[in-house]
Amino acid sequence: MKRQPIDWSQLWYPGRKLPFTPEEMAQAGSDAPSPTMVAVACVNFASVVFVALQLAPSSQTARLTAAFAALAVLATAMARWLWWRPWRQPLMQVQMGLTVFMLAGALGIRWRVPDRADREIVTLALGIGIGLLVIVSWFLVVWRAHSIEARLREQAEREKSIEMARRLAAAQIEPHFLFNTLASVQHWVQTKDDRAAPLLAALTGYLRATLPLFKHALLPAAAELVAVQRYLEVMQARMGARLGFLLDIEPGLERALLPPGLLLTLVENAIAHGLEPQLAGGHITLRARRAGDEVVFEVLDNGVGPAPDMHDGVGLANARLRLGLSCGPAARLHIGAAVGGGCRAEIHLPWRNAAS
Amino acid sequence: MNHPRITALVADDEEAPREQLLAALKTAWPALEVVAVAANGVDAWDQFLEHEPAVCFLDIRMPGLSGIDVARRIAGRAAVVFATAYGDHALAAFDAGAVDYLMKPVDPERLAQTVARLSERLAPTSTEPGPVALQGLLAQLAAQARRPPTLNVLQASVGREVKLIRTDEVIYFESDSRYTRIVFDSPGDGVGSSGDALIRTALKDLLTQLDEQLFWQVHRSVIVNHRHIASAVRVDEGHMHLTLRRRPETLPVSRHFQGLFKGQ
Repeated sequence: MKRQPIDWSQLWYPGRKLPFTPEEMAQAGSDAPSPTMVAVACVNFASVVFVALQLAPSSQTARLTAAFAALAVLATAMARWLWWRPWRQPLMQVQMGLTVFMLAGALGIRWRVPDRADREIVTLALGIGIGLLVIVSWFLVVWRAHSIEARLREQAEREKSIEMARRLAAAQIEPHFLFNTLASVQHWVQTKDDRAAPLLAALTGYLRATLPLFKHALLPAAAELVAVQRYLEVMQARMGARLGFLLDIEPGLERALLPPGLLLTLVENAIAHGLEPQLAGGHITLRARRAGDEVVFEVLDNGVGPAPDMHDGVGLANARLRLGLSCGPAARLHIGAAVGGGCRAEIHLPWRNAAS
Repeated sequence: MNHPRITALVADDEEAPREQLLAALKTAWPALEVVAVAANGVDAWDQFLEHEPAVCFLDIRMPGLSGIDVARRIAGRAAVVFATAYGDHALAAFDAGAVDYLMKPVDPERLAQTVARLSERLAPTSTEPGPVALQGLLAQLAAQARRPPTLNVLQASVGREVKLIRTDEVIYFESDSRYTRIVFDSPGDGVGSSGDALIRTALKDLLTQLDEQLFWQVHRSVIVNHRHIASAVRVDEGHMHLTLRRRPETLPVSRHFQGLFKGQ
């Protein structure tokens, strides 16, 4: 691992070095200081001035008042400047400015205040005022940069969760499937066909297993396998002899954690794109096995097979994204032609993901 | 009241929705005579050619050929009503193009509206035009769909040997009940390479696996490589046949396909 160098500049300035981009400022830093903040600043400044004037000899009151008025103007300009540029370089510029102002003030005092004791007091008062301003500017920049960063982070999180929710919604039950199934149920009920009851039972089982799936970011495969099994039963009732299926899960792997809907998407794809277009229908196998330090879920069909120029549809792109978001980059989804025709889809998960 | 007879084809790969539509049609449209029922797109197209129904009710997702594919081949020669379930991506296009469709499970009221509109359009005095630019719309939808890969080589048993015939060397395919007779020509291979052979695939199933640009269906039981067509000869009002470049026989062109040869 690469050793990280120590950034000594954090000693005096633990804030942000890089400027925010105009977009970032527009996104999270476009707010003006609140009236409360302005009022608090004014009251604080007034009390500092009051204390300084009490300490200083009365002969210097007029002079000090003028100096503090100039300082107030300077401080306002400085705060405004820093408010829209809360990073290191502007802060350094402001603090340099304050230092110059202090040196100029000290020279002015030496020149204009003849009494030595008075001079010390006035210099001290001015020094405290400017010192406070330096500290205030430092706090202002650090606090403001932190709050903008926090807001940016919060917005990114919110966007991520909205995106996740949107994709989850898209991954849920396909209305086409539901209504097609209902069409069969309705007809068989009307004609008092014996196939109505098992189909309705399978559909109910499917809905019961599927609806709670999407409430979690990760789920044990067992929960989803129930939904897959019911889905295949429904499809088998509808397609009749054209569909055969087999679920073959190595013991223990039902506990593997997966983002919900992934296996269902793969099985739905195998039926919709592999078997349904094929006159003779076909067979689907869903297999889960341990391979070294990985768990592999495999959906295999003997349908028409992927087109050579196949690209991800919405469902697959979605599945890939959710797998990446929930299980990290080590998890992957691979789809390709199966040996001997048909399509093979594989989800590889690190075992630690699955076992946790 | 004496209804004129109107013939129909109903195609859906699933039994229950198909039966339901048939039952609903019986009630909603007593004058309709369903002459053909198909369980996949290939049969639907074949049955259409055989029976030439006036109305075709086509499920969209069917194996072999999709409902869209079949409608594209029908090419306006019959009124087409699509049957589909909620959520099909074609629905938006259908709504925009004023295409007739039914949602499964079929709702009797909606079916009654469709029937009323159709019987009006099919009446001999009708001036109502069919859906606007249906063919363009269907071509668009069909282009989005996945196609089965086209066949490059055919394997035909001739006696005890299995002959490999390159698809582009085929002159024409002819249906021979459940078999297909292939007449081919491979000039590069020397003597005896030309001839005919039988394969055990029905013509209608072969149809979906052939390159549409190269092979033209000209009859329910004939598909011809258009590069080998020498001329189309009109015999009389209803009859036309093709002469070939390297073969003496002629091939029939049924009425439906005569539009392919209209001269320029």
